[in-house]
Amino acid sequence: MDIISALEGLAPELEKGLEKASTAEDLESLRVRFLGRKGSLATIMGELPSLAPEKRPEAGKVANRVKEELTSLFEARKKALEEQAEQAFIAGFDPTLPGRHPWEGTRHPITLTMEKICSVFEKLGFDIESGPEVETDYYNFEALNLPPEHPARDMQDTLYITDNIVLRTQTSAVQVHTMEKRKPPLAVVSPGKVYRRDSDITHTPMFHQVEGLMVGDNVTLAHLRGVLTAFSQAMFGKETRVRFRPSFFPFTEPSAEVDISCCLCHGKGHVNGTPCRVCKTTGWLEILGCGMVDPAVFSCVGYPEDITGFAFGMGVERIAMLTYGLGDLRMFFENDARFLRQFV
Amino acid sequence: MLLSLSWLREFVPYEGSASELADRLTMLGLEVDDIVHPFEDISSIVVGKVVECAPHPNSDHMHICKVDVGSGELLPIVCGAPNVAAGQTVAVATVGTVMPGGMQIKKAKLRGEPSFGMICSEREMGLSEDHSGILVLEDSLPVGVPLVDALDLDREVLDIDITPNRADCLSVLGLAREVALAFKLPMNVTEKLPTFSASDYPHPEIVIDDPEYCPCYMGRVITGTRLAPSPIRMRYRLHAVGVRAISNVVDVTNYILMETGQPLHSFDLDKVRGGKVIVRHAEEGEHFTTLDGQDRILTASDLTIRDAEGPVGLAGVMGGLESEMTAESKGVFLESAIFRPASIRATARRLGLHSEASFRFERGVDQQRTQWSLDRACAMIQSLAGGIVSDRLCKSEPRPFVPAQIKYRPARCTKLLGEEPGLEFSKDVLTGLGCAVDATRADEWIVQQPSWRPDVTREADLVEEVARFYGMDKVEPVLPSVERKLEDASLPETTYAFMDRLRCWASGIGLNECINYSFVGTRDLDLLNLPKEGRIEIMNPLSADQDVLRTVLAPGLLHTLNTNMRQNVSSVRIFELANVFKKDESVYTGTRETGMMGFLLTGRRYDELWPHKAGELDYLDLKGIAENLLHFLHLPAPTVRQASDHPYLLPAVEVYVGEECVGTMGRVQPGIADRYEARWPVWVAEFNLEVLRRLHDAARTGFRELATYPAVRRDITVIADPSMKAQTIMDAIVASGSFLLEDVSMIDLFVPADGASRNLTFRLTMRSPKKTLKDAEADKERDRIVHALEKNLGVRV
Repeated sequence: MDIISALEGLAPELEKGLEKASTAEDLESLRVRFLGRKGSLATIMGELPSLAPEKRPEAGKVANRVKEELTSLFEARKKALEEQAEQAFIAGFDPTLPGRHPWEGTRHPITLTMEKICSVFEKLGFDIESGPEVETDYYNFEALNLPPEHPARDMQDTLYITDNIVLRTQTSAVQVHTMEKRKPPLAVVSPGKVYRRDSDITHTPMFHQVEGLMVGDNVTLAHLRGVLTAFSQAMFGKETRVRFRPSFFPFTEPSAEVDISCCLCHGKGHVNGTPCRVCKTTGWLEILGCGMVDPAVFSCVGYPEDITGFAFGMGVERIAMLTYGLGDLRMFFENDARFLRQFV
Repeated sequence: MLLSLSWLREFVPYEGSASELADRLTMLGLEVDDIVHPFEDISSIVVGKVVECAPHPNSDHMHICKVDVGSGELLPIVCGAPNVAAGQTVAVATVGTVMPGGMQIKKAKLRGEPSFGMICSEREMGLSEDHSGILVLEDSLPVGVPLVDALDLDREVLDIDITPNRADCLSVLGLAREVALAFKLPMNVTEKLPTFSASDYPHPEIVIDDPEYCPCYMGRVITGTRLAPSPIRMRYRLHAVGVRAISNVVDVTNYILMETGQPLHSFDLDKVRGGKVIVRHAEEGEHFTTLDGQDRILTASDLTIRDAEGPVGLAGVMGGLESEMTAESKGVFLESAIFRPASIRATARRLGLHSEASFRFERGVDQQRTQWSLDRACAMIQSLAGGIVSDRLCKSEPRPFVPAQIKYRPARCTKLLGEEPGLEFSKDVLTGLGCAVDATRADEWIVQQPSWRPDVTREADLVEEVARFYGMDKVEPVLPSVERKLEDASLPETTYAFMDRLRCWASGIGLNECINYSFVGTRDLDLLNLPKEGRIEIMNPLSADQDVLRTVLAPGLLHTLNTNMRQNVSSVRIFELANVFKKDESVYTGTRETGMMGFLLTGRRYDELWPHKAGELDYLDLKGIAENLLHFLHLPAPTVRQASDHPYLLPAVEVYVGEECVGTMGRVQPGIADRYEARWPVWVAEFNLEVLRRLHDAARTGFRELATYPAVRRDITVIADPSMKAQTIMDAIVASGSFLLEDVSMIDLFVPADGASRNLTFRLTMRSPKKTLKDAEADKERDRIVHALEKNLGVRV
């Protein structure tokens, strides 16, 4: 058989083969058999040198035509098969199968709340400062105008390491460190763990506070009200009303407790005629304590006499409970995975 | 502090409602917690008259009474009280009345006799513990009227949370001052003085050892008193404000304490021996029996009241048993004094003896009213217990009260508030509070402290008073602009922000954050075989489970594991960022606090059974997290070293970045894990955040040029002894490769069934920076590596 007819015979042969091919593997083996380096076309072309030189151009032309023909036959079949497969995929596609979930991680609700609180103050221009959890009596009490045997010490049951070393009962301890190392003006918040010797349904022996301090030449009560109103509305919504109720803290004077209008009943005291369970019908929720820094604290850190400043402190758990509508404080520290996984 | 509204009205004509008053006081810083109605649950009990009283035919102690309760007919009531008699005026619970204990009075037959109600004892009405017989009332009370109305009892009581600075508000008088000022009402204090008489009874001499501890001590001698129960109204008023009635003399001292804030003490006059009352510190180790019958061992810091022979009272805290008033007492020595607050507090706290008296002394008592209160009490004693009040006052006042003269700059007030409250307003408030105000200099007033306000001694205290009445709530909020210093702009990332990024990373890779207490039990640390040295113990722990601070995070993480095992959680993947605590005398608190990041993995790798392949969390999961952490912090891949003697991990693996150990990881020893009810192997890791932070800050990330030429890959399988570590082989590959070797990664591990070897497959990635590598060049590189492995490690490839 001459080379030309051998070449001419390839196309019909491939056609027959392609008809039977139904998978990508079938196609590939056909491609190798016909078009591969050692395939039929190559084998026939290998014999080209044995041809008389004058016949070679014609054979070459035929070979090229056959190669194109084979390729296009092959491609057509391949495309048809791909379309078939695509149709089968579409027909069999089940969008309702459960997804392959990656691990779903969460941050603790206290972390989330603390971060939200801090970010509000950071936007207002406050820096973040941290301090140690084990403190001396001096930093935790005395420098904050709470001398030994002051009755206000009853406000906090303290866990002692030694007579003079305590687990800090308030993040206010960080205030004094901050003022010792930085000169005014300054505006800082310090988030962290605090400890009290108290454990019942509304108290855990460890909890979290965020403390704030702003000191400068002209820091006023009006500014304190501005900052805390801005904070309350950022945390609890634009409609939130804020109430300053005079109170007492040894390290501020004047001092106030800050109430916000109840986030459940919006200050009405009742929800659809039933007494509000969150504010107990008062319409107000106490969320933090604050005041103008007592001059005794400034004199302790050697700040000038005429400087003014304000400080505030809040319990993170309290705010987290309001935010998430949570009733039992202790759940925060039990770390039940079913609880933790709810907070993303 | 419980404030009865009707008691308050004896001092100030407040006519508004209790809730209105509560709101106003709350906004003045006197937070009203509750409005209590102390006699609400006996409001339906009425006054009745026992018209007839005949013995019960079927009982040896009961009586059948006919009682008039104003209903027009006499009620038959069977009464078992021994003191019931015809003609008595009594308290009657008629049929339908619900008693304080919840019992409802029903029509009944008692031993065959019908009974239509109950004649009540004090205990049945919740008024006292007295159940010796029925309560017999004054005959003048109108029959059929509710008892509460007939006796005009205190029906509304405010429960006020008095902050520690407001010593003055621990009395009706003090609160009346606030109310008068708040509602612009006049004060109306009725003076009460006894009838004084000359007395030849030997009066004790007052000796004060240290005026620092007792600036003022006085007392009066009252002879011929008769100890008896107080009249009903007095007893029930005390009851309404939470004070137990005892006897007329003692009740008066409590009544005056509640009314004026001056604690008083009544000594049995004859038990004050040797004609002396001495105020002096106790002898160290001295024994003293207090009123409650307890033997107390005193210290030299306890202030005592003594007679010539020894202690008769713990000053300001509690009297002595021996000098207590009894039915035999023929007279009273009534003490009214001022003691140093800190000293009283120290003693009360040390002995756990907190009383209404010590509570007030700790906070400060009005020294100008000491005698006024004493005389007021004497007048009441005289009217209730009779007796002769001596006209000779026994008194020593080595340190008379000197009020502070305070500079007050109206401009300073404005500077603090950010608003001008008004000069007239400020002056009115200060005057109204009882301060003498000298405003001769318009810019600097001189304001005199009222004797009842120990908390008002400085300008800031006066500003607070003005702000309180001005209304802190009225000050217009202004958002300040925070001044910032340029040099602060380049400060390093705060620890808080660094930790926050780690939390975001960890939750992002699928771990759940937990927060455990910083303290655990000593037994937790012992269980983990942690060293006993260096622990920080809590002196006064709440419980043995919380008596020591964590020296590693593991005990807390294991507690969380335990909680979740009990809840049948099948997969626990948690992390925590917290401090651990160890002794370190170089720190000013003696405690080194180190921030750590901990991980714990146990259980199923995936919560869902499909489409993931099932599997248990294992070392490779933990190590992958560790490696990812370091990568996240821009640190190079860590090396690991197995540690042989870790207290609670086995295997235990130390993680190194370069030559620095950054953390530890491994499996909790099964015996320990069992104690926390683990059901799968428990893998934990802990990293030192201070070290990581330092390395992270020093790490520099830069851009690497992307490769121009293609890479060539060759896979080799190393058949090695099972004891040979993967890292050893990888290190050997890297060591023997040329610059062409770009990367080595393990792609398979196969252990043949005979267990005699481990087959590890590595993929070598080779690339030239200058040209496309030829197959032959890649093969040559591979062959050199294979040869080196066979020669140096004795493995087959």
